[in-house]
Amino acid sequence: MGDYVVFHDVSWHASYAVYFFVIGICAGLSFFSFLSWHKPSLRPVREKSAYLSFVLLAVAGLLLISDLSQPLRFLHVLNPAYLNFTSPLAWGSLNIVTFGLASVAYLFMLRKGDEKWGRTLAWVTALLALGLPIYTGYDLTAHQSRPVWNTPVIPVLFVALAVASGSAVASLLAMGNEAARNMLRLYLLWSTAAVAVILVSILGTTNYGGSAEELTFIVLTTKTMGAIFIGLGIVAGTAAPIAMLLAPFGRRQAGLMFAALLVLVGSAALRYALLMGPQYVQTLY
Amino acid sequence: MSEELRTSPIETRGLAGKKRYAMVVDTRRCIGCMACQVACKAEYDTPLGVNRTWVPYKVVGTYPNVKKHFLPRLCNHCDDPPCVRACPVEATYKVEDGGFVLQRYERCIGCRSCMAACPYNARFMLPAHRTYTAITSVVDKCTFCFHRVTQGLVPACVQTCIGRSRVFGDINDPASEVSYLVATNATQVLRPEQGTKPHVFYIAGDRSQMEYGRDAYQRREVMDQERRMFERNFKA
Repeated sequence: MGDYVVFHDVSWHASYAVYFFVIGICAGLSFFSFLSWHKPSLRPVREKSAYLSFVLLAVAGLLLISDLSQPLRFLHVLNPAYLNFTSPLAWGSLNIVTFGLASVAYLFMLRKGDEKWGRTLAWVTALLALGLPIYTGYDLTAHQSRPVWNTPVIPVLFVALAVASGSAVASLLAMGNEAARNMLRLYLLWSTAAVAVILVSILGTTNYGGSAEELTFIVLTTKTMGAIFIGLGIVAGTAAPIAMLLAPFGRRQAGLMFAALLVLVGSAALRYALLMGPQYVQTLY
Repeated sequence: MSEELRTSPIETRGLAGKKRYAMVVDTRRCIGCMACQVACKAEYDTPLGVNRTWVPYKVVGTYPNVKKHFLPRLCNHCDDPPCVRACPVEATYKVEDGGFVLQRYERCIGCRSCMAACPYNARFMLPAHRTYTAITSVVDKCTFCFHRVTQGLVPACVQTCIGRSRVFGDINDPASEVSYLVATNATQVLRPEQGTKPHVFYIAGDRSQMEYGRDAYQRREVMDQERRMFERNFKA
């Protein structure tokens, strides 16, 4: 007692988790719009997914810019004289901009009804959309001193979360269409199952890690953060929807809608906990 | 360290013809007067609630075997700094001749990637409410007093240290005092496992302060309470 401890602030606040959530859905929807060119059952969600993905991209961009403490300098990340290619953020900003441009061109072709270019641009946007969860995950992975973040599975987890939350929103968009619903149910089920497997792997390696990992495990699994991560993220947002989708109830429209909403809540909670939890221990050092 | 051992092209320790400044902190000589912290605040007018250097202390042991340990902290001016890698716009950079890790305020976008990358909490955000200077809402850090060192002076914290606990110099110069101290004493650096090659060396640093968050194991409620008090009293 009587120690003099200087407390430090966390580097990235909760607004960044909101960005992760929005950009994940944006990427997922772009993927399903692309998939609709190859899976006829998903045709009803093609335009809706593409438009909503673009709107969410605009929201995500605004979130990202407003999160900077110098928002007007966001153009610095597009200045070739300034760009530092060892930073994942530099690659991410290029990824977002090229994805935005490709999305505009894709939407233009959708409106025009140009099948040939629409199909090509759907492929390009989906490829660039894949980069969004990968770069956001790599943004965390690159920080070697942070437990949980510094694991190679984080970008993979973010891809799985993007497909899960994207298929959840697409399920809501495809309400009433049985063929699309059945297809999206499979994507929702398998991507949520992938999230579950990766979470088990993360929890295992974190619990068996060094002191920082061990402390982070305690932070992530107890008290308020435990309620968010374990309660909302894993139990309500991952395990419950998987069980629901495997049950006969999950094949019905109401079941799928309910599971989709749970996955959205869970993926938001997981992103929040995975962003904030591993920063806690560092603030005490 | 020989040049052959360098693993990253950014590293300048042992590079012929280049200076590599380092600091040795002899914790046996530190009396916890905080004069270094005050000198730094005076030199840079660092706002309330943030510090370029700070001196945490910890009381260890149980009566009658009790000792107060100090561990002066600052940017480690790493030879392979993760903050430089993480900055998307090269607002933070390493000076090749000297090894200073510095910040370009006019370029910083405030994304806080460098803060997340730093294992030592050495970086902080300057508050937005500073009215007498345009340098606000950007990341700041210790510069090893670049402006003083390039004029042949030592950093303000070293200049003011009453016990000569802090010693500063060119570790690439075998005749310098820091080279002598590092060669002839058992020294430690903070979190060597991070591969950052820190250039602040501690003599007789206490394990309870150098290791990772041991307090949090036992007294999270107390730490949370202390954090709230700290934020109430010290955050502007």
